[in-house]
Amino acid sequence: MPALKPFILKLTLVAGLLAACAPTAPTAPPEPGAAPAGDLVLYSGRSEALIQPVIDQFQALYPDINVALKAGSNSELAAALLEERANPQADLFLTTELMTVQKMANEGVFQPYQPGTPDAVPADYHHPDWLWTGLTLRARVLIYNTQLVTPAAAPQSVLDLTKPEWRGQLAAAGSTNGGFQAHVAALRQLIGDAATTAWLTGLSANEVQFFGGHTDVRKAVGAGEFQVGLVNHYYYHLQKAEGSPVAVVYPDQGEGQMGVVVNATGIGVIAGARHAAAAGLFIDYLLSPEGQQLFAELNYEYPVRPGVPLHPEVQPLTGLRLAAFDVVAAADSLESTLDLLETLGIP
Amino acid sequence: MAPRHPATDECMPALELLDITKQYAPGAARAVDAVSLAVQKGEILSLLGPSGCGKTSTLRLIAGFERPDAGVIRLNGQTVTGPGHWVPPERRGIGMVFQDYALFPHLTVRQNVGFGLQGRAAARIQDTVAHLLELLGLRGLAERYPHELSGGERQRVALARALAPEPVLILLDEPFSSLDADRRAAVREQVRATLRSLGATALFVTHDQEEALFLGDRLAILHQGRLQQIDTPEAIFHSPATRFVAEFLGHTDFLPGEVTADGILTEIGLIPQRVALPIGAPVELAMRADDVTLEPARGGARALVLARHFKGAQNVYRVRLPSGRLLHSLQPHTLNLRSGTPVRVWAAAGHPLACFHDGQRVPAAEL
Amino acid sequence: MANLIVASLVGLQSRWRERQIGKRRLSRPLLLAALAVAALVATPLAYLLLRAATAPAETWARLLQTRLLGLLTNTLALMAAVTLGTVVLGVALAWLVERTDLPGRPVWRWLLAVPLAMPAFIGAVVHVALLRPRGGIVPRFLAETLGVDWQGPSPFGFWGAAFMLTLFMYPYVYLLSAAAFRNLHASLEEAARSLGRNAWQTLWTVTLPVLRPGLAAGALLVALDVLAEYGTVALLRYETFSAAIFLQLSGRYDRSAAAILSGGLVVIALAVLAIELWLQGRARAEQVGGHWRPAPPQPLRAWRWPAFALVAAVSLATVFVPVTVLAAWTVQGLRDGPTLAELDRAAGRGLGHYLFNSLWSAGLAAGLAVALSVPVAYLAVRYPRWTSRGLSHLCQVGYALPGVVVALSLILLTNTALPALRGLPLVVVLAYVVRHMPQAVRSSQAALAQLAPSLEEAGRSLGRDSLNVLLTVTVPLIFPGLLAGAALVFLTSLKELPATLLLRPAGFDTLAVRVWLAANDGLYPQAAPAALLLTLCAAVPLAFLLRRGRI
Repeated sequence: MPALKPFILKLTLVAGLLAACAPTAPTAPPEPGAAPAGDLVLYSGRSEALIQPVIDQFQALYPDINVALKAGSNSELAAALLEERANPQADLFLTTELMTVQKMANEGVFQPYQPGTPDAVPADYHHPDWLWTGLTLRARVLIYNTQLVTPAAAPQSVLDLTKPEWRGQLAAAGSTNGGFQAHVAALRQLIGDAATTAWLTGLSANEVQFFGGHTDVRKAVGAGEFQVGLVNHYYYHLQKAEGSPVAVVYPDQGEGQMGVVVNATGIGVIAGARHAAAAGLFIDYLLSPEGQQLFAELNYEYPVRPGVPLHPEVQPLTGLRLAAFDVVAAADSLESTLDLLETLGIP
Repeated sequence: MAPRHPATDECMPALELLDITKQYAPGAARAVDAVSLAVQKGEILSLLGPSGCGKTSTLRLIAGFERPDAGVIRLNGQTVTGPGHWVPPERRGIGMVFQDYALFPHLTVRQNVGFGLQGRAAARIQDTVAHLLELLGLRGLAERYPHELSGGERQRVALARALAPEPVLILLDEPFSSLDADRRAAVREQVRATLRSLGATALFVTHDQEEALFLGDRLAILHQGRLQQIDTPEAIFHSPATRFVAEFLGHTDFLPGEVTADGILTEIGLIPQRVALPIGAPVELAMRADDVTLEPARGGARALVLARHFKGAQNVYRVRLPSGRLLHSLQPHTLNLRSGTPVRVWAAAGHPLACFHDGQRVPAAEL
Repeated sequence: MANLIVASLVGLQSRWRERQIGKRRLSRPLLLAALAVAALVATPLAYLLLRAATAPAETWARLLQTRLLGLLTNTLALMAAVTLGTVVLGVALAWLVERTDLPGRPVWRWLLAVPLAMPAFIGAVVHVALLRPRGGIVPRFLAETLGVDWQGPSPFGFWGAAFMLTLFMYPYVYLLSAAAFRNLHASLEEAARSLGRNAWQTLWTVTLPVLRPGLAAGALLVALDVLAEYGTVALLRYETFSAAIFLQLSGRYDRSAAAILSGGLVVIALAVLAIELWLQGRARAEQVGGHWRPAPPQPLRAWRWPAFALVAAVSLATVFVPVTVLAAWTVQGLRDGPTLAELDRAAGRGLGHYLFNSLWSAGLAAGLAVALSVPVAYLAVRYPRWTSRGLSHLCQVGYALPGVVVALSLILLTNTALPALRGLPLVVVLAYVVRHMPQAVRSSQAALAQLAPSLEEAGRSLGRDSLNVLLTVTVPLIFPGLLAGAALVFLTSLKELPATLLLRPAGFDTLAVRVWLAANDGLYPQAAPAALLLTLCAAVPLAFLLRRGRI
């Protein structure tokens, strides 16, 4: 295992960088004649609804490649990949946070792949040896129902969620959700294990409703079943697009506060993949301006590629206080984080 | 049937049916058609008839499992079924032995027999059950379950269970039909002895006339829902009220004839018996094998011996008359004829033969 | 499950069997075949238990401290509640339909069995969408049109799960009791009446006790089904062993905790199964004698319409409301642009494809399970002794293996022993076969038990060997029975969710999985067409089984 130089996601800086860069020239369109054929097996921690449109576009470009998708939780698929190391079934693994891909890289699950346009990915968003590369960023935000909560009363920090006034009014994704797992791992770095444990205990005591995924959370808040939800920022936009009375808070922006936690989605090519060439094409497509644009347009995400415009409704990360945490350390603490969640009985 | 006695307790029947009628579906034939009968205390009445004659329906009406369309049923003089009266089966005090015994499969023999004794003192229940098991020879089987019993044992348990609450009347629905032929006689004997020793009043349904004759003090014969005749076995045998009764009792051939001034003219000659019918009326005579005699014919006769059944001391010959009609004749074993032998046949009853017109018995004419 | 009736038929038909115990020599090839089948079915379980036993001590300690007790309480409580609920509801409905003058009995007889065609989790999806507090369609409708703030009972949690599972599992008990009520000798009840018990006392002292062994077996199978249930409890946010195992599998890399939890679940299930098999053995000697006669219907009089309302309410909740809502969502999906595009995409590569996947995997599983069940059943019926019965019982452990457990054991097994199977849809089929083998074995046994051995003996006496006779005489004669078994396996495999969810290779989705994924994301208009299609497909084998009276 190549030793990975620790790197800090200096997101404040990166966000500035993203905003500063002018749009780069679009990558050359692929030549269909050169396209490899076959089944490309993609294990995706992103739910199907959030990845299928991109796959559809990719397949429109490469009609000879059939993408077989298995969507699940990051950890479920990671476990499968570990089990399949001797006999790999997947070609690609896509996650909703970077800890899992980092762990898989440590375990030797990936082979390196350097995208056709390596400068499309800022250095902080790929493995130094290109064992994985980042795709998009998402902020962990609070969504609230405006018919039930006034903007003034809305919680301004994730730590506010343990306050008794929110008892029975909160929804979040549970312990199998990669976004939530990564958030907790980040909190352990940001506020320490004791405070994180107290926060989780406080959530349980506040009768937070943990769902299997964020879609349930946004729908429940949108419908008014719960007042506030802890989600990735685009779930707010998706719910808003359905006409629900919801608003968003980018939390912990105050002086001395930790800042909003930002995760990135990552992807890597499986070592021993049967369709490595097609896998490379897929990654290249996801990193191309078109692919990045799809994530931004359809799913309100922050493209990792500099210069790709945000969806007009999405608040830029520029100027926001972003939480700074170490992905490598977080990846190493992933299992202990899962143990913590289980011990505390977070469903 | 006779109208109800203006009763002293002595002669009040245990069971009385007045014009009981039951029709299961509108337009269907009446399963029970205006049946009236009475069973005296301590009497066993056999209700006999072919299957589908309405005897089981009659039984179920008495037990209270069905409601009649019309008629009255009285038990010990008390109306249990009738206009404005309905006593549910559990309050009639009637015991019943079912054709399939209906032993409760989840209860032991002891629990089955004691089932109808609920609410009585435990000691009394125990005594009654023990007594009945003893009486019916079931003592060693008390803790068995029904599926662990033989057919005959089940039969006796069913009887013991029905008898345990000391019912006013006990109904037995074809109680021996589920038994193997070789078991039947013994079980039958025991049932009769038990009923007799307890002085029970019983109504017993069967399609087997031998059983009916064996068990019943009197016989009631049912056909197509109608009561044909009710009397002692001897009286019915000697003097069947309808052609159906004569035929059902069996061993009877029917010989058509025509009423003449001198008697009844039949294929085997004139039978000098007068009946109260106009000359020329068609009738049928019931002829049993002992009413018919024959001898080898010397020419001219056209009746033929078809078969001989050797019955020890006697032979029964089956004879075909010229018309093709069959008659049976009982002859001493000394007369030994081959089949195909031409014979002369005549009636030699020594008593008036039962004579039917339109299926009904025709009384002998006043001389 | 549904061949409880079949199982009791085995009992009734077994008189000639018992006469020949020990008289025939075991056929060696048959024994080997049956052993192979039993090994196939039992190996995943054995391997799983091994993994649980050898799991790290700290994992055991962590689970014992944090999870096991709560899960045990949750699981047993739900099992008890649903079992009780299904027995009460199932027996009551069966009694109303079979033994009273309830209006519309011939229609209800069928309608009340229809919920078997719909996986419980689909029903749960609909009920949650309708009733969830604040967000539900009903509360919102009431608030928006009538201004009434009605929240109603929450469909979530223990009571919601108990209610929903009762609604969708009662048909097992209902069908079983209906058949028992039909087969009950009328004279038994009349005997009780003539012995002084009124109708109510007769019901309690005679009718129900006589039905008890079969009912208990049905109740225990419902209990096993509750243990195995994943989709419904997960959706209704009630954590049982199955849900916790699923969570372990999707939340952790380490399989040993899941193996331990699965071990615990299997132990409970095996205990329940053992009781069920024991009862099945005892139930055989019930109701001696022939002369069956139907009992006259009990007049309900004043209760006629309240009873009608009850039956109608059950049908409304289990059939009409779910189907109507699914149909409405489907229509809504077809009208909505983005959803239509999604469905269109699905139709191009999806819906038809998922249907095909569902049909072939369930069909292959049905064929395999029935074919494999024949040697086991043949041995158990024709050579009854402890070895053959033991094999037959061993093949029924599938009842005690919830889908998540089968999935986990196959994941573990394909990791170590059979890597070639990994990534093939065949693994899913294998899971169906293991899980539903008991139904095939019981059906085949019932079919064989009704075939007089003299037919086979005649074949042998005419110079054919036993294999030849099996193929040319026995199998053709019991074919309808085998077909019923296959229909049963097909039906249950079609509805299977957790094992499929966990084992499916990339790109292999079944209808049940599609419904689950879409509904889990709250995309009801996208889930609805697949749900309707699944229910329709399941209705075909169900109708076949109902017509045969075999369910």
